[in-house]
Amino acid sequence: MRGRPVLGLLPWALFFAAFGLLPLLTALGLSFFAMNPLRPDLTRWIGLANYGHALTSPAFWHALRTTALFVVVSVPLTLGLGYLVAALLGRVRRGEAFFRAAVFFPATLSMVVISLVFKSLYAEQGLLNGWLAMAGLPPFHWLQDPRLALPSIIAMDVWASVGYYAILLLAARKTLPLEQLEAARLEGLSFGQIERRIVFPHVKPVVLFVILLDTIRAFQIFIEVFVLTRGGPLESTLTLVYHLYERAFYHFEMGYACAIAYLLLLLVGAILLVQRRVLREREAVAA
Amino acid sequence: MGSRSHPVVAALAAALLLAGCGGNVGQKRQIVFWQFSPLETIQPVLARFEKEHPDLHVQVEQLTWQSGREKIVAAIAAGRPPDLCEIGSTFLPGLVADSTLVDLTDSVPDLVPQLRGWETARYRGRAYALPWMLGTRALYMNVDLMRKAGLDPAHPPTTWSELASAVARVDAIGPGIKGFGMNSGEREVLFKKFMPFAWGNGGDILDSTLTRSVVASPQNLEALRFYLSLKPHALLDRQEMLDEAFLRGRLGFTISGPWLLRKIPQSAPQLAFEPILMPRPGPNRGKPASFAGAEALGIFRGAREKAVALTLARFLVREENTMPLYVATGNAFPAAVAAAQDSYFVGHTKDRVFVEQLTTAVAPPVHPRWVEIEEILNSELEQAIYGTKTAQAALRSADERIAALLSPKP
Repeated sequence: MRGRPVLGLLPWALFFAAFGLLPLLTALGLSFFAMNPLRPDLTRWIGLANYGHALTSPAFWHALRTTALFVVVSVPLTLGLGYLVAALLGRVRRGEAFFRAAVFFPATLSMVVISLVFKSLYAEQGLLNGWLAMAGLPPFHWLQDPRLALPSIIAMDVWASVGYYAILLLAARKTLPLEQLEAARLEGLSFGQIERRIVFPHVKPVVLFVILLDTIRAFQIFIEVFVLTRGGPLESTLTLVYHLYERAFYHFEMGYACAIAYLLLLLVGAILLVQRRVLREREAVAA
Repeated sequence: MGSRSHPVVAALAAALLLAGCGGNVGQKRQIVFWQFSPLETIQPVLARFEKEHPDLHVQVEQLTWQSGREKIVAAIAAGRPPDLCEIGSTFLPGLVADSTLVDLTDSVPDLVPQLRGWETARYRGRAYALPWMLGTRALYMNVDLMRKAGLDPAHPPTTWSELASAVARVDAIGPGIKGFGMNSGEREVLFKKFMPFAWGNGGDILDSTLTRSVVASPQNLEALRFYLSLKPHALLDRQEMLDEAFLRGRLGFTISGPWLLRKIPQSAPQLAFEPILMPRPGPNRGKPASFAGAEALGIFRGAREKAVALTLARFLVREENTMPLYVATGNAFPAAVAAAQDSYFVGHTKDRVFVEQLTTAVAPPVHPRWVEIEEILNSELEQAIYGTKTAQAALRSADERIAALLSPKP
């Protein structure tokens, strides 16, 4: 009987080893080689040269800056809106199931589908410019203007992710005992005070989880850029993962692309560690 | 428990064994063929091939334009490429440079006079693929907007100055109407839209030996200045959005491919339009050049069935096997010389314009560093289009960067 749980985990472990661990380790190994996928026979060991090349490449730093900007803007926006939507959903008395489903709906769609829908929405003759025209405003070149392209992608990404995180936060709110809220109301606490003193401390672990999850996801932004802008215009949406995709499949620098992927992994790992430490320290101070 | 799992293990082993027998289906030899056309279009052609060669079976797979390249690269890297593969002319130079494709020169001398577009598949005089379908772009003109602008659509613009004048007059019709569709926001196509003007003006990207950049030539500069002069009257957007705007009757002129000939009757049957040849620099100057691309058939060095793959390739490039693909998809024209005389083009005058345009279309050079050259060209052109560089500065910068790329490292 003791062996049964291990046996039960075996399919998952095999799947993870084949499609998770093995590619991960292979990519790590490749990052130390000059490897052209079209000529695998010419693959040669170059040590840390790919990492050195990335760290001295202006294109890498540009892509990193763009990605960082995306993360810095999209994560707080997603979290803030997600928290607000969860709070509003928590107060809905009628049709809660409908609103929950409506809010969660974008999370059920593939990002490719969402991007294609937004591509028509952002078009010169799209719905968005149609609304602006009705309001007597001139059209915007949402994806053609280098100043607007990244904000447009951020807006779409936030719309697509808010519902998922809102449902997570709502679930956390629902675990708060009603008696506690009733008591707070009887004590005469305002809505803001209840949110700040009772609800937020209660859902804080989930907030932390959402921040970590969304930060990882935001650093990996690729599909949106691939479908909407391909890194343009004027490289204003050239993110790190799109950059590594171009290096791998257009320039056939697979080793270099793997090195970029591992630099991204290290960066995200470091940021997550700092985030956790800072948030825990704050928690300790508050306690 | 142990004895129960035996049938499962046996079934898995049998499945693996069957999967390993990829080379033969029954007694037939199997050719793995990857291509981009819809399966319902290519299947009848392949059925005819199998009828002609009863000992062969073609396992065809449709690649997508979005991820086909990645799939091919991954298959080569894994050492399991298809036996025969459709390859776009902009992808071909990289494959040739890395010696990934079989040199077909000595196997197909008889096909040389029968096919056009060899320049898209040749490197240093050797052919690494068979031209299959050829693509080009022409200028689409909205007939109604021409009339509204007080112009005679029976006399479409044939020179740069006539085009500039027509574009400005159409643009002046009113809000919501633009004179010209200019590509932006997708770097990979920018040079395809500008270079026709440069090629038509006698300009080029590399010299005839493919060792020196000639991007900063006066001919290219004149062409780029002309191209940018259309910008104030242009809608700047991606190709599919420009096509969409043309369909909605919002564009006077746009450069696009033959696929619009199929799309317009379906999506905008009321639209009065004509495809016309690209304009030339002046009445007695230059030529109406355009971009020439090709879908070629290549055989990878790592392919298992090279000989029969060539048999299939030779069959596919025949005129009677390429015309059905063109009629069904309208994306690219048969490379077979005989196809230009096909009766289909007698009744389809709009299609004939593209056949004529192909005669003056120019293919980008097949150069081992083409991916980088293309990237430099596109990024500098993008800066010129967005006004962050002048035409001269953009071309000079492109020239310097390409020269640095081509010069041997010390």
